[in-house]
Amino acid sequence: MFITFALITLLGALGMLLQKNVVVAGLCMVAAFFGVAGLFVLLANPVAAALQIIVYTGAIMVLVLFVIMMLNSHEEEKAQVSHPVQRWLSVTLIAALAFGAVKLVLGSKGLTALAVTGAEMPQAMTLQKIGTTLFADHLLGFEVAGLVLLAAMIGAVALTKRNL
Amino acid sequence: MGVLVKKVELSWLDRTYVWPVMKGMGITFQHFLKQLFTPTAKRFTIQYPDMKKEMPSGYRGLHELKRFEDGAIKCVACFMCQEACPARCISIEAEEFSDLNITQGFEEKRPAKFSIDMLRCIYCGMCEEACPKDAIWLRKDYEVAAYDRLSMQFGKWDLMNTYTEADGKESISQDPTPSVPRRTIAL
Amino acid sequence: MDKLASLLHTTPAIAWMVAKLVIVFGGVFSLAALWTWVERRGSAMIQDRIGPNRAALFGKIKIIGLAQPLADGIKFFFKEDLVPHDANKALFWLAPFLALVPALMGFAVIPFGRSFMSGGQEYHMALLDPGNGMGLLYPLAIGGMAVYGVLVAAWSSNNKWSILGGMRASAAMVSYEIGMSLAVVTIFMTAGGYDPSEVINAQGHLPWAWNVVRQPLGFIVFFTCMFAETNRLPFDFAEGESEIVAGFNTEYGSMKFSLLALAEYCHLMTASALMATLYFGGWQVPFVQNPAVMLSVLSFLVKMLFFAWVFVWIRWTLPRFRYDQLMHLGWKVMLPLSMANLVFHAWRMSQGH
Repeated sequence: MFITFALITLLGALGMLLQKNVVVAGLCMVAAFFGVAGLFVLLANPVAAALQIIVYTGAIMVLVLFVIMMLNSHEEEKAQVSHPVQRWLSVTLIAALAFGAVKLVLGSKGLTALAVTGAEMPQAMTLQKIGTTLFADHLLGFEVAGLVLLAAMIGAVALTKRNL
Repeated sequence: MGVLVKKVELSWLDRTYVWPVMKGMGITFQHFLKQLFTPTAKRFTIQYPDMKKEMPSGYRGLHELKRFEDGAIKCVACFMCQEACPARCISIEAEEFSDLNITQGFEEKRPAKFSIDMLRCIYCGMCEEACPKDAIWLRKDYEVAAYDRLSMQFGKWDLMNTYTEADGKESISQDPTPSVPRRTIAL
Repeated sequence: MDKLASLLHTTPAIAWMVAKLVIVFGGVFSLAALWTWVERRGSAMIQDRIGPNRAALFGKIKIIGLAQPLADGIKFFFKEDLVPHDANKALFWLAPFLALVPALMGFAVIPFGRSFMSGGQEYHMALLDPGNGMGLLYPLAIGGMAVYGVLVAAWSSNNKWSILGGMRASAAMVSYEIGMSLAVVTIFMTAGGYDPSEVINAQGHLPWAWNVVRQPLGFIVFFTCMFAETNRLPFDFAEGESEIVAGFNTEYGSMKFSLLALAEYCHLMTASALMATLYFGGWQVPFVQNPAVMLSVLSFLVKMLFFAWVFVWIRWTLPRFRYDQLMHLGWKVMLPLSMANLVFHAWRMSQGH
């Protein structure tokens, strides 16, 4: 199961990167999100999976595709020939980042603990637990995030709507 | 010139939109129930091949060439209808006939061929107007269709037999011997 | 069930799972097919017409035209399968399935009858057993996916009208999802859980304790949003025939079109099942404490089909909204209403009711 979902995720992500067509790329991204949701379910966190699908595929990607369709670029513009310097630079940057990430994960405490004690099934996450975590343990952060988002929303409305 | 449109003042109940929707749903449901408990035969819909619409009087449908009681054709081949036809769908070939047994030396005219191209006919009724002998008229049959063009060319006998079934007459395929000279009847 | 399982050399759980799969998907699919007929016949009755009543099995058995979906299906199968020249072929093929699969999947979590014990094993009348942790978030998530069928169909057809329809559908769905979610959240809150079985148990068997009585405002909001979610008239902007030809399925014909149409009806079934579960006590039989299993299934079916009929009924009562009216209704009426509903019930709960 893990292999399946991981493959879906990876292939979706790869397809999104390599696909020339914007809308097809967006749909590949949806597939990748689905794979991630499946991985969440495997991690005994169905709530995160559901939220992943509701928020990312159900709302954000729909909006992205909506904008793509509104701009209506059926003919893809030819990308400018990239300079080899850029290409090499980006490749080395990505390699460095990937190396750092892998090292970070391998050196993390959780993984060493896992090696010692062996894997155990993570406890199932429910909506109740998420609720208590959000509204009891991280109330301040939650409220601040909400405030920032509200400010951003009001700003967006004020910017786009000329005559309020 | 502007048109004054009266603005309808909505009451608060109508402005909630929920109540008017429910009223509308009530109306549609009334119709639904009424239809549900009406037997099929009494509904507005005429289920065509099974039921047929009664055409109003004055409807111009398929032509008929009329005949006398003895079966002889009324048409005298005067070509008036052919001239009057705006679609030029009528073509007539006249012939003389005489019956020496009855009227010595008397001769009359009648169509040898009388054909109407039903694909061209516009069912305007001008032939009926033009006919001095009331020999052709348009009746209420509206099912004029065929699988090929050739069978839409109605000949003399087709036109004489179009309404035999509806009228309960016998269909004929050759001119019967007239019993009385036509001129006397015309007089 | 045990006997059947031993006959098939499987455990009862697996046999039950297979049976449930067949019942749920087969049932929803055939109900959806049936509902195409109900829609046509019902609309005909409402407009004082007769509707399709002539389709007959073997040319003889004419059961008030019930064979019509069958005849339609056969006709669709044998029609020419056209793909527009400049369409994106792969996506054009994919779109009907993208529309149909979420519409069918959404039903999986909804319990359609009382759980019962047999031979020491508990059998649940829902594809996903209660306590799966996904609960009613699952149909919401899957419902959000349904827009992709429309979007992909619209975009891949390479047709202006289709794209307009797809854009309208996506915008409408995103804006109505928020109001709907808030209405559902209120139910989670008052029921104290988000599993459908918990929601149903919290409502009990007395009709005046059902959520429709407790939160009529929430019901109205949810009901309206369901119309927008399923793209049904009065909100069928994806397909406004009078404005944009046939919207997202302009270029579709034959079996692909019929899949798109079936998807709409499957979605309708899922939506009405959701409505029955959330607001009308699911499988609860009015005034019966612990109903027999078949009775509970029947009760659920009656409620569901009633709402499916209401969908048809409303479609043939109301005219289509204008697009700006839809947006106005969604953002300026439905969202504040569901917010007010949420706040009101939160306040009531804080008062200890």
